[in-house]
Amino acid sequence: MITKYFTKVVVRFNPLGKEAKTARLFLSSIPPTQRLSGLSLKNELLNGASTASPLVKVTFKDKTELELNPTGITFQEVGNFFDRHSRKLRLKETIEA
Amino acid sequence: MISGVENIWNVFQRSKYGLRSVRFASSRRRVTVKPADSRKTFLIDSYKDLMDKNPVVLFAHHNNLIKQENAHFRALVKDLGGRMTVIRNDLFQVYLRNAHLPDPCAPVRRKLQNRAHPLSRLFQGPTAAISFPETNPAQVGKLLKQLEKSSDKLFIVGAKVESEAMDLAKLNQFKLLPTKPELQSQLLGLLHILSGAGLVRTLEAGSQALFLTLSSHHDHMSEGKETTE
Repeated sequence: MITKYFTKVVVRFNPLGKEAKTARLFLSSIPPTQRLSGLSLKNELLNGASTASPLVKVTFKDKTELELNPTGITFQEVGNFFDRHSRKLRLKETIEA
Repeated sequence: MISGVENIWNVFQRSKYGLRSVRFASSRRRVTVKPADSRKTFLIDSYKDLMDKNPVVLFAHHNNLIKQENAHFRALVKDLGGRMTVIRNDLFQVYLRNAHLPDPCAPVRRKLQNRAHPLSRLFQGPTAAISFPETNPAQVGKLLKQLEKSSDKLFIVGAKVESEAMDLAKLNQFKLLPTKPELQSQLLGLLHILSGAGLVRTLEAGSQALFLTLSSHHDHMSEGKETTE
């Protein structure tokens, strides 16, 4: 997964739910150096009683926001979903540079 | 005792291979799925020890901690009297499945395993166990408060408190409770206030009645003796 163009990440999940694996792997795939250099990482924990649905939301450097419900999909699929936009940004960067 | 020693000695003398063929009941070879001296067996044993000896074990998700962050969190937990252990998820799940059996490393049929352990869903992704050797809700409260500030690095996802699995909502209720000795003294105080001396009297009543019966019997007997003399 290309995390280079992320500026803000919000993850909401229930640690006992089915989405927990995908959400937690997503959280841990962000390198610590990036976390220290300005990426804001927020996580919210749900419990059985809460009504909000699980969520992975990413804001990119060009202020595009993409969001996804991690229930029932793998970490690989989540990565591919966000990579589509990241690759666009990378292409733009290489053309402009 | 002597006959037992003689018996073993006889077996030893009769056997072709000397002492090697003598197997004592206490030194029976342990049967494990993985070799007994392997790291996997060692880790499962250490998880059993961790869960048996510590009444409070919190499970936390950790996000790629760098060296300083790791040292910081470990020091924080140590100051509160606990210990942080990073866990191998698959092996911990093996332990949870077999936790109710006498030896979690021994080969066991699938039907006898506990595959629906309430904690087993927590072990998906990087997990650490924070264990406390005493049940002290105030410690847990302090730790939760300190971790709130750095929730992008380490956060609690679940816990085991005295054989009960807890999620974060339950844990937030638990941290508000007073400590165990405090609760016990409160209960004692409450009993004193509510019943006054009544409760103490009731508890004593049985032995007192027995004493009175016996003493009256004794008096009766001694009276009988005196009359015959």
